[in-house]
Amino acid sequence: MIDRAWEHESVSEPKEIVVGVGAGASAVPGKELATEDMVLNIGPQHPSTHGVLRLRLALDGERIATAEPIIGYMHRGAEKLFEVRDYRQIIVLANRHDWLSAFANELGVVIAVERMLGMEVPVRAVWARTLLAELNRVLNHLMFLGSYPLELGAITPVFYAFRERETIQAVMEEISGGRMHYMFNRVGGLKEDLPLGWLERTGRAVADVRRRLPDIENLIMGNEIFLARTTGVGVLDRETILQYGVSGPIARASGVDLDLRRDEPYLAYGELPVKVVTRSAGDCHARFEVLHDQLKVSLDLADACLERLRQLPPGPINQRLPKILKAPEGHTYAWTESPLGLNGYYLVSRGEKTPWRLKLRSASFNNVQVLREMLPGNLLADMVAILGSMFFVVGDIDK
Amino acid sequence: MARIPGTGLAKGLAVTLRHMLRRSVTQQYPEVQPELPPRSRGVIALVEENCTSCMLCARECPDWCIYIDSHKETIPAPEGGRPRQRNVLDRFAIDFSLCMYCGICIEACPFDALFWAPDFEYAEHDIRDLLHEKDRLATWATKVPPPPAHELGAEPPKELAAESAPRPSARSIRPPGALPKRPESEGDA
Repeated sequence: MIDRAWEHESVSEPKEIVVGVGAGASAVPGKELATEDMVLNIGPQHPSTHGVLRLRLALDGERIATAEPIIGYMHRGAEKLFEVRDYRQIIVLANRHDWLSAFANELGVVIAVERMLGMEVPVRAVWARTLLAELNRVLNHLMFLGSYPLELGAITPVFYAFRERETIQAVMEEISGGRMHYMFNRVGGLKEDLPLGWLERTGRAVADVRRRLPDIENLIMGNEIFLARTTGVGVLDRETILQYGVSGPIARASGVDLDLRRDEPYLAYGELPVKVVTRSAGDCHARFEVLHDQLKVSLDLADACLERLRQLPPGPINQRLPKILKAPEGHTYAWTESPLGLNGYYLVSRGEKTPWRLKLRSASFNNVQVLREMLPGNLLADMVAILGSMFFVVGDIDK
Repeated sequence: MARIPGTGLAKGLAVTLRHMLRRSVTQQYPEVQPELPPRSRGVIALVEENCTSCMLCARECPDWCIYIDSHKETIPAPEGGRPRQRNVLDRFAIDFSLCMYCGICIEACPFDALFWAPDFEYAEHDIRDLLHEKDRLATWATKVPPPPAHELGAEPPKELAAESAPRPSARSIRPPGALPKRPESEGDA
């Protein structure tokens, strides 16, 4: 042993040795070891895709060389089904493509139909809709504030997020009867008026969520492990965002300052001080931060709506509709700021009781396409962090 | 910025610790039933006496999960009258394995035969058992809660409004065949 150690030290120059083992060995032409890209399918049944999104990755070692999102596993033909449903039945279907923002989805449909009819919505309905849309945004954001850390291995925040969700869902259920699929919008207003004492209970729920929000903040926002996994990971630049039509919190995290609530106000947003949250970093952490700050903004907006609803003079909450509702011939495009991004409905009517075509522009569809640009060059381990930070709902991608 | 490493983790653990000392919010579900609001969409109840088998609910249902069979029966003429026909409901079934719980049938029913009840405990081992026939749907009718009162500033519910509204005078009744006055009811046909 001693002899050999001495021998080893005596070698003056280090010598390069190429070792080939297994199937790769035969392919060694010269010095370098041949590497082959590995094609790896993530999904369609993978927990990190929360749903049935499939990603086909080509891996160069641990790095992602190319990524291709393959969609359509949950295609339910919503647009085609819209064509054989009347406008009340469309609301049922429309609130289901993005099941985390059902109210926002309903809203787009009824706004489009109301615009075609030239219908004036009662003031109380406008404010109640604005309030419910913001509560829906809170619910949606809480979901992702809980599930994103979960995907990165932090199990606790999701319980806190779901406790807050439960608080808001209780008041949503009280007014609409549903916990996810509210089915509460109607053309011309809302289905029913607010139950007695609901405004007060909602005010309390909003205050409770705001009071307990620091729990989630303290749990995750400063966590070193969370920061290490998200800061500087999956940076999305402004140019790519504009090319792919990315919208919502993801776009705002990269400094794209667009929010329809402020830039093209619908409902009562024109009278509300909508604070648009933006970040410039464009990484996973910035996206998470935008979501978190938007939650606070939404709670403030909800409070403003509640205040206004208490002061409004008595009045109806909906319009009397004819038994058969027909949108006049023509077309319109109604887009709204859904919690996950721009949600648009292009309604073409030929004067029938069903639309001739109702094109759906869903936020997640565009937001997920950009993965093709984002993932290459990143480590496979960061894939989960990036995917989770794109805040998508598979039903919203596949429609 | 100079940060002591581990501050973020410690802060998180502090939240957990604080929460550990608080009372838990666990609901002992099977023993303690949740309190559901009256509007909660749990199950659809049928009040059979009110149903005229007009099929409006079945036609309006977005996924056609309501099955109605009926036949016509002739009621013998009362004194000085003529015999009348009426519909007799043979079958009324809702397939809850297809139902999307949208509530359009309840909204569409002009005779108050359908109601929401907040009950939800009717899961089955066999999907075919989710088809509730009219006798089962009628049992839910006992669970239907009264509708909640409306918030201040709301218009009274249409049932109350209709009761207190003055009866239409003979002049305001539209003669058959005349054009409706309100443009809203154009599509009534």
